[in-house]
Amino acid sequence: MSSPSSPRSSVAISFGSPASESGVTRLDLNDILVRHPQAAFLMRIAGDSMRQAGVDDGDLALVDRAQTASHGQVVIAIVNDEFVCRRLHRRGGDVRLQSADPAYPDWVPGDGEELQIWGVVTHVIRPLAA
Amino acid sequence: MFALVDVNNMYVSCERVFRPSLIGRPVVVLSNNDGACIARSNEAKDLGVRMAQPWFEVRHLERSAGLIALSANFELYGDMSSRMMSLAAAYAPRQEIYSIDECFLDFDGMPGDRVAVGCDLRAKVLRWTGLPTSVGFGATKTLAKLANHVAKTADRKPSSYPHALAQVCDLGQLPAPALEAVMQATEVGNVWGIGHKTTARLNQGGIHSVLDLVRADATILRRQFSVVIEKTILELRGTPCMEVNDAPAANQQIMCSRSFGSPVTELPELVEVVSQFASQVARKLREQGCVAGAVQVFITTSSYRQQDRHHAPSATLPLPHPSADTRVLVSAAVRALRSIYRPGFNYVKAGVMLVDLQSPGQVQDTLDLFGADEPGPPPAQGRTGLMSAMDALNERFGRQAVTVASATRKDGPSAHASRQERRSPRYTTRLEEIVTVRA
Repeated sequence: MSSPSSPRSSVAISFGSPASESGVTRLDLNDILVRHPQAAFLMRIAGDSMRQAGVDDGDLALVDRAQTASHGQVVIAIVNDEFVCRRLHRRGGDVRLQSADPAYPDWVPGDGEELQIWGVVTHVIRPLAA
Repeated sequence: MFALVDVNNMYVSCERVFRPSLIGRPVVVLSNNDGACIARSNEAKDLGVRMAQPWFEVRHLERSAGLIALSANFELYGDMSSRMMSLAAAYAPRQEIYSIDECFLDFDGMPGDRVAVGCDLRAKVLRWTGLPTSVGFGATKTLAKLANHVAKTADRKPSSYPHALAQVCDLGQLPAPALEAVMQATEVGNVWGIGHKTTARLNQGGIHSVLDLVRADATILRRQFSVVIEKTILELRGTPCMEVNDAPAANQQIMCSRSFGSPVTELPELVEVVSQFASQVARKLREQGCVAGAVQVFITTSSYRQQDRHHAPSATLPLPHPSADTRVLVSAAVRALRSIYRPGFNYVKAGVMLVDLQSPGQVQDTLDLFGADEPGPPPAQGRTGLMSAMDALNERFGRQAVTVASATRKDGPSAHASRQERRSPRYTTRLEEIVTVRA
């Protein structure tokens, strides 16, 4: 992710330029959270079916397209041309999308249908202020 | 050995990443003022929509064939472009960004199976960004371009070329008879830099296929056309002779980019460089008698300096009103630069690209200021006149004379509103416009 609107400042510990090897640069969430910058996207969560999995209504989801989704991961998938956030269940030939709420049924690809995974949700960002 | 990496139907492909319902349907993207089709999905091409065709001519297809038209969303395209470019850059020691959706990679001296490298690059860009690309390899840039055309066409129309050449095509690996068959099957107008007029004249002279051109007498053709066609023929025969400045200009965009002599870390230095580049492209823009709808700026660290942290951001700023004014373009470029710059990085290269180019006829009020001064490609005097007129305005109205034009624009809100109507959200550059996911 590029373009933070206010550029971070650097902390000059040595007298050299901040870029020199002795220089120190302030920690940056981009570096900490974003493993694959070209594959990183932000999406907004709408709905509470994933609350039990730690993904709540209104959360900002950080999505990584570079990762291959594996069993148990929270993913962004495409169902009926729409983006949905679900947990991927993949055990042998049993592939399905599960919500974290028993009230929502699993989604299982129909005949000739293919499960389309758009990306893996790696983090959610949620303000705690009331 | 060069590779040309190019995104298939770039603007439409960007839209489809974030709107899966567009996949498989005929889609066009319209120029800034919704006047003409500047990108078409394969389905729209199959409906007969031509490049740059005015929207009113194909509008009936909305109802009759489900054609979907979107307004250009250059912030989105610019951001997706920079993701793709920086992934491609890691595959070769040198990258030359040629346009918003194409770059040359110089594989000189690199061993290995190029088709495998191309397939890996293609798969990675598709997975990481969602954008489908075509990759063409050739001993010269012109051959790499041709290979790319073959890769793309073979993918879209399976009967056109051997299936093995689809998506990734290395002309350098073909045995001579197979290469000749490809050249025989390709119309000469598809060669890099051979335009409509030249094609018509070549056809009159009996040159129809690329193979006809390769076998033609380069010296005679140079006399009839120009030295460029001779270079093109030599390049098609495998002799590199296209210098950067000879290279045919990309359609619909003007670019200036350069690597620095030594790494640059500080913002003021970058501002200076980017301002210079922006002035250069602005001058070229006026020479073409065009205005630009958006400005893209990129800066990059070296992916080959292992000791450095990597940072290769870019930003695309759509202009409120298309412009050819140096100051508008420089100021937009500098604003874009400020938004992407981060201290503490060793930048080795920067670039400024003008996109969404339009001829003044396509733009109304904003352009009146220029139109009077500049009918067609303007003589130097016309430019001076324009600039002094701008100076006078600036003196009278303060530094931002452009606000005069934008104030005028407010009189016609309907035109402006309709221009925005079909634009998709700026999914990757505006927090309030990101994709919403059902959970």
